Amino acid sequence: MTEARRDTVLARIRAALGDRHRTRDELATLDRRLNAPPVGVRPKLHDDPLSQFITKAQANLCTVERIASLQMLVPAILRLLPPPPQKPDISVAPALAHLGWPADWSINFGAGRRTEPLSVTLAVAGIAETGSVVLRSAPASPTTLNFLPDMHVVVLRADDVVAHTEDAWARLRAEGGDWPRTVNIIAGPSRTADVGGIIVRPAHGPKSVHLVLCDS
Amino acid sequence: MLVNGKDFSSRASKAPADAGLQQQVSNLKTGFVAARARAVAALPEYEAMRDAGAAIKDHTLANLDFYLERFERAVVDRGGHVHWAADAEEACRIVREICTRTGARTVTKGKSMVSEEIGLNEALEADGLDVVETDAGEYIVQLAKEAPSHIVMPTVHKTTNEISDLFFEHHRRHGFSERVTDAAELIAQVRSVMREKYFSADIGITGANFLVAETGSNIIVTNEGNGDLTCTLARVHIVTAGIEKVVPTLNDASVLLRLLARSALGIETTSYTTLSTGPRRPGDADGPEEYHVVLVDNGRTKMLSGAFRPMLRCIRCGACMNHCPVYLAVGGHTYASVYPGPMGAVLTPMIARHEAANELPHACTLNGRCQQVCPVKIPLPDLLRRLRHEQWEDGFIKGRSRWGLGVWSWLATRPALYRVATRLGVQVLRWLGRSRGRIGHLPLAGEWTAGRDLPAPQGTTFHAAWAKRKRQP
Repeated sequence: MTEARRDTVLARIRAALGDRHRTRDELATLDRRLNAPPVGVRPKLHDDPLSQFITKAQANLCTVERIASLQMLVPAILRLLPPPPQKPDISVAPALAHLGWPADWSINFGAGRRTEPLSVTLAVAGIAETGSVVLRSAPASPTTLNFLPDMHVVVLRADDVVAHTEDAWARLRAEGGDWPRTVNIIAGPSRTADVGGIIVRPAHGPKSVHLVLCDS
Repeated sequence: MLVNGKDFSSRASKAPADAGLQQQVSNLKTGFVAARARAVAALPEYEAMRDAGAAIKDHTLANLDFYLERFERAVVDRGGHVHWAADAEEACRIVREICTRTGARTVTKGKSMVSEEIGLNEALEADGLDVVETDAGEYIVQLAKEAPSHIVMPTVHKTTNEISDLFFEHHRRHGFSERVTDAAELIAQVRSVMREKYFSADIGITGANFLVAETGSNIIVTNEGNGDLTCTLARVHIVTAGIEKVVPTLNDASVLLRLLARSALGIETTSYTTLSTGPRRPGDADGPEEYHVVLVDNGRTKMLSGAFRPMLRCIRCGACMNHCPVYLAVGGHTYASVYPGPMGAVLTPMIARHEAANELPHACTLNGRCQQVCPVKIPLPDLLRRLRHEQWEDGFIKGRSRWGLGVWSWLATRPALYRVATRLGVQVLRWLGRSRGRIGHLPLAGEWTAGRDLPAPQGTTFHAAWAKRKRQP
């Protein structure tokens, strides 16, 4: 049944294309195009990649903060949280679990929860062209942390900022291993204009996105 | 697909009197048209990108079997499943079978025009499933039991007041008993209702802006984050997509994504671009247990074979309708088809049958703006003209129109006679409008002159003016 449906549709496509058999050379050309994807025309950057990344991210209504090293991350997160005596209740990607989080905080090192005040995740790349960050799913990097929190804090190494989306794909391809289950490119907070054309933030995802650029 | 393209003209004559609709549609005229123009002007490479986008789609379509098979292989290699559906009924049956096999009760849906085209919600609801649209706009039209009136902005026809009434009626059971009129408060209700739905969903259905043969991924773009939560939190993720959605590589998708965001919303990128590739991997803390892609033909191979192939380049940005004087005058619902506006006037007769949509190709002034703004350069006016021609050949055009066109073509193919007739026509029209310079009533065009005057001709015929101009040095 399933096979029959597949054959029907493919036969219709081939008939529509004139039922022409591809030569070995033609197939090799198509394979080459898939294995070494060509890079087409891309928007010229107006600045060096890191500066343009920051400008664009801010234009997308992200807040951007720079820290010298990952050791400064916990104090940076503390500044984002409501003042004591409230005990922080946040989620952190397991990829960042080793950073010396205070023992008295309640931290979920796992998938996102239904109510999620703040999550901290690690991006694999930043894209200067659009000021976006690229996050990939992995056991240490759950996708739900990108969408469920009210505030999404994304940590990004300054060295990981690339010029264009194609450069981010190249990085992910070069990582080796299998292509990730989920890749999220995020360019700002969640929003909608479906009620009266008025832009409202947030819709279903984070109300704010805070980028922490780490210099080393 | 629910198509009622037959009574287009009777619905169209009511639209200009709908003040609410006119107000909402005017937002498109100003906001989106201007935003697109700004975004395009800010990108010197834009024209080159349009050519690149059209070339990528043409290359893919010319090798569609190859790329779909490669896409399938990449999905299967990563533990997903690909299903092929020749028509709407088969596509629905495939999804229904997955729901039955997995014991599903609730379905969350990201925006998918193909799912609307195949009537998926109705099919699943008939099986007793609870189906919820998660995109705020799609959710609103679902509650109102309406169809989207625009492929990108489904609620462009609805006022805030109407949405307020709708939520007041439906959200009491979710604990919202006050009537609210503020857009932010209304959206906060949607957010709260959907959080519960995402977590309780058995099946999450999304569309695909692109399918990538290189990796076996589907790509969706959203500003809300709804499709992204839909495909991550449900136990099973099903993608419904037309066969023309495949592109060779991620780099090709990047070119088209740049065109899509600028053409649809006048922005450089949406808040979210999400690639899903297969089910949850070992050790993953989230993600679906099953991943399925349903590839839908439903009339597309018919377009692939001939003159309508360029229509399959369409990336569903909606720019053609935002710039269409007919769409802007009558609104999306007048088309009574899932796909309104210029792209819909071509797609609907190809997907449904000619006779079910026989007025749609005529809802066009052939002004050409749609083709000018189309990010992948689809020659929409040519395709509409061709559809009209096919309708004539197939005998769908009847009565006064057929008779009138017959007279016209007889006359237009006899140049000498044509010149005499037009010269005479100009004189008669001038005489009719002799007192005011305008004609208030024309025989045989009473409906047209009932709403406006025809300006009387101000000189001679075009042929005469042209001949005179050529004689001048």
